[in-house]
Amino acid sequence: MMDNSSTLHLALPAVHTAASATAPPSLAQPRAFSTSVNPLVFFSILDHYLRRNAGQDRVIGTLLGVRSEDGSEVEIKGCYPVPHLETEDQVEVDMEYHRTMFELHKQVNPKEVIVGWYATGAALNSYSALIHDFYQKEVSSFHAVHLTMDTALTNERLGVKTYISAPVGITSKADNCMFIPIPCDVKYFKAERAGLELLANAKSTESGSTTLLSDMDNLEQAVIEVQKMLERVSEYVDSVLAGTIPANNTVGRYLMDTVSVVPKVDAAEFEKMFNSHLQDLLMVIYLANMTRTQLAVAKRLEKLM
Amino acid sequence: MPSNKELSAALDIEGSVPIHSVQLDAMVVLKIVKHCRESIPATVTGQLMGLDVNGVLEVTHSFPMPKNNQDSEDDASNYQVQMMRCLREVNVDDNSVGWYQSTNMGNFMNQSLIEHQFEFQQALSKSVLIIHDVARSSMGNINLRALRLTPAFMQLYKEKKFSTEALTKAKLTFSNIFEELPITIRNTALLTALLYELETADESVEVSTSHLTTYKSTASTPASKSVLAPSFDVLDLSLDPYVAKNLENLMDTIDDHHQEQGNYAYWQRSVERENKKKAAYLLNRKTENARRAQSGQAPLANEDVDAMFKVPVEPSRLDHLLISGQIDNYCKQINEFAGPTLGKLFAVGELQK
Repeated sequence: MMDNSSTLHLALPAVHTAASATAPPSLAQPRAFSTSVNPLVFFSILDHYLRRNAGQDRVIGTLLGVRSEDGSEVEIKGCYPVPHLETEDQVEVDMEYHRTMFELHKQVNPKEVIVGWYATGAALNSYSALIHDFYQKEVSSFHAVHLTMDTALTNERLGVKTYISAPVGITSKADNCMFIPIPCDVKYFKAERAGLELLANAKSTESGSTTLLSDMDNLEQAVIEVQKMLERVSEYVDSVLAGTIPANNTVGRYLMDTVSVVPKVDAAEFEKMFNSHLQDLLMVIYLANMTRTQLAVAKRLEKLM
Repeated sequence: MPSNKELSAALDIEGSVPIHSVQLDAMVVLKIVKHCRESIPATVTGQLMGLDVNGVLEVTHSFPMPKNNQDSEDDASNYQVQMMRCLREVNVDDNSVGWYQSTNMGNFMNQSLIEHQFEFQQALSKSVLIIHDVARSSMGNINLRALRLTPAFMQLYKEKKFSTEALTKAKLTFSNIFEELPITIRNTALLTALLYELETADESVEVSTSHLTTYKSTASTPASKSVLAPSFDVLDLSLDPYVAKNLENLMDTIDDHHQEQGNYAYWQRSVERENKKKAAYLLNRKTENARRAQSGQAPLANEDVDAMFKVPVEPSRLDHLLISGQIDNYCKQINEFAGPTLGKLFAVGELQK
């Protein structure tokens, strides 16, 4: 195990035997470490991969993000590509480029710091360890995160995995390290959610393109979606009642919760609320249209002057 | 970037094919959304990069601009040049095709935006402005608009002539300051794969927990299943805050409009006054001259009457145009919002029965 081979790839159970001897205590619980990724990062990585140089089979780049105070949670919010060159016996990463880009990013987003790096392809090789060592130095006392994306689509999946590293061996050498997988989830916000939804619309069209939806169309889609869900649920409930499907307690409890969320409003009260809202809205529409008419009249009058 | 200019020239030799639509890469959409969201409520801008092919402006990359570029113009351009250089190194289209700006409730019609876009369109005739409305996007439907200044407006702005006469001549009104281009959004094949992956992500949890590489965190609540599980933000019933905010903005703008009108009326009055004075003076001279002619005296020397009575210059109507445009915008927005909301209200009404 401790011979001169440049990298070691160990399976996870080895953590407690090989790594715990040299690793800082925090590494003993890799489970406490988790990452969340903004979908933008995936999109950027794929874009970078598509724009790679001819003959290059993987691309790498720097991940930016924010850390929780104790460093146990990392939120990856952005990334940028870094050019590198891999040959049979050596790897070159354009460190100057990496620095410049980071400086530039800092001007726009001072909160985001370097949290690690990404690479495409599912494989981890000896160069991964070398590059990781560099990024480990960049993040100093924290763990550098390594994110891989399987662009070759092995198993027909775009497997995304995140790792942190643990040193392996008695002497700490740059290329002796072990990648420990850590959990990773996807995090986004409301506005991004809307964007993603739109992009998801495009996925089933052949050309992979879509146009923007108006608010009305969007509402229609949502209503159709809800209808489908209701149908599915009532179908399920019916078949449970008929005894064709065994009842699932968890599902039942969820359904119960959902039904109880529907607020119970007194009919007269509701009527009042409904009407006042409706009147408000109609009034606003009326006024808005009035204003527009005024503008149009003004427009015409101006021409007469 | 001479090489790029050559390239774009090669694609469209005369540069005469007008742009009729804008195609955004999925990544650009997300980048804009992220940048705008993170800097709420400040207004932020960024650069768009891409290529125009046959009248379709393909935007393939974007990068944010630093916020405080007002006081350090040099820094901003420096940043831009460096960023472009860096991006070229990783094979990104480094051909600038426009810029984007965030907005809140559609209040983007202002002088500085017009000036910025004017400069852009002056330098690059095929540049476009993407407006992203953060407030409206967070209600469940992403709101992006691609705008360009119309040629008529460009011409007037170049001449800095915004008199009523010039406006009428150019047939320019608030509704044709900008032309809006349709936006399409494109995913690459790999992205499509990613989206499918995200959709099925919850299934992978079981598959991969064994070696700790959960795609979704195992600790996540069972309610948030797949990443692309349908969201029903659109069905939200809280219409009051949105309408109230919109009306507030509308009222502010109408106040501005009122003030502008006051200015204009003041100008009209002073023009009238000067004109009256001038007419009275001319009449005086006429009678004086007639009297002199009768008594055989030579008529008074001709003086430059126009120089004596300065008609005040008409104030620029640009503000008026912009304010009208803004009001129109708000009204449209309210209408757009009201349609679906009425639907929702009635749906709830039915539900209650």
